[in-house]
Amino acid sequence: MAGELESCKPLSGLLSGLAQDAFYGHPGITEELLRSQLYPDVPIEEFRPFQAKMRGILKSIASADMDFNQLEAFLTAQTKKQGGITSDQAAVISKFWKSHKTKIRESLMNQSRWDSGLRGLSWRVDGKSQSRHSAEIHTPVAIMELEIGKSGQESEFLCLEFDEIKVNQVLKKLSEVEESISTLMQPV
Amino acid sequence: MVKATTGTAQIHAEGEYAPLLDVWSDRYRQEGWHYLLEAIFGDQLPHTPELLIDFQWKLGMAVSSDSCRSLKYPYVAVMLKVADHSGQVKNKSFEMTIPQFQNFYRQFKEIAAIIETV
Repeated sequence: MAGELESCKPLSGLLSGLAQDAFYGHPGITEELLRSQLYPDVPIEEFRPFQAKMRGILKSIASADMDFNQLEAFLTAQTKKQGGITSDQAAVISKFWKSHKTKIRESLMNQSRWDSGLRGLSWRVDGKSQSRHSAEIHTPVAIMELEIGKSGQESEFLCLEFDEIKVNQVLKKLSEVEESISTLMQPV
Repeated sequence: MVKATTGTAQIHAEGEYAPLLDVWSDRYRQEGWHYLLEAIFGDQLPHTPELLIDFQWKLGMAVSSDSCRSLKYPYVAVMLKVADHSGQVKNKSFEMTIPQFQNFYRQFKEIAAIIETV
């Protein structure tokens, strides 16, 4: 049955399924599901260590956020190991990482963010007029709606009102952030 | 039956809703339409804007985590102090990635440009 496992066609699918489970938190991706869909002729006792090996490799690559040089060195080492992978399999894994790296990384970043993230932002500017007791006064205000939410939870909407002075105060703070970013951040 | 007429701000209640409306109408007289509409429409009501009292920020770098040893991503964390119409003050915090922050900053600049001309 080793020939079945060495075949590369279903490996790409397996890596996708493993990524769904390990990184995107997609529920219901069981070992049996993967086996029956991708390697139906391989018995579970053989499939189990195989998928565990692939999962381990994928996790190592993602955890180290390997660039392509590191990836190649790592996969070459895996092909040379006892009970490692074939060079065909290494090629499939390499291709998979190259096309999914950004998405997987984003998913890992989201997993480690425990505060709310900014999900959406919309705004409008109103010319507010007060006319109840005094003459009409036009004071422009900006109304901003921030959609924030923690990973996997429903959004919270924050609706804020700013007058011109406040807008400029916030703008000044934002320019301080921008300055910090450019002076302190080395290219990552 | 509840009939509310905007503009004239009058509420007529009949039958079983009458006592309930007495409670509401006191509050609404004091604090505006907000409470009445909230009672009827609940969460579907667009929120009354809150005032921003303070804006604090932090530029952070996530280095490593248990799910990813090599995270290496910068982020902007923001802490807003907001006051609602009743004067209650709350802290709201959230994080932005650098591209999200750039977008946030750009939108604020747009708002500033427009509010100046209104």
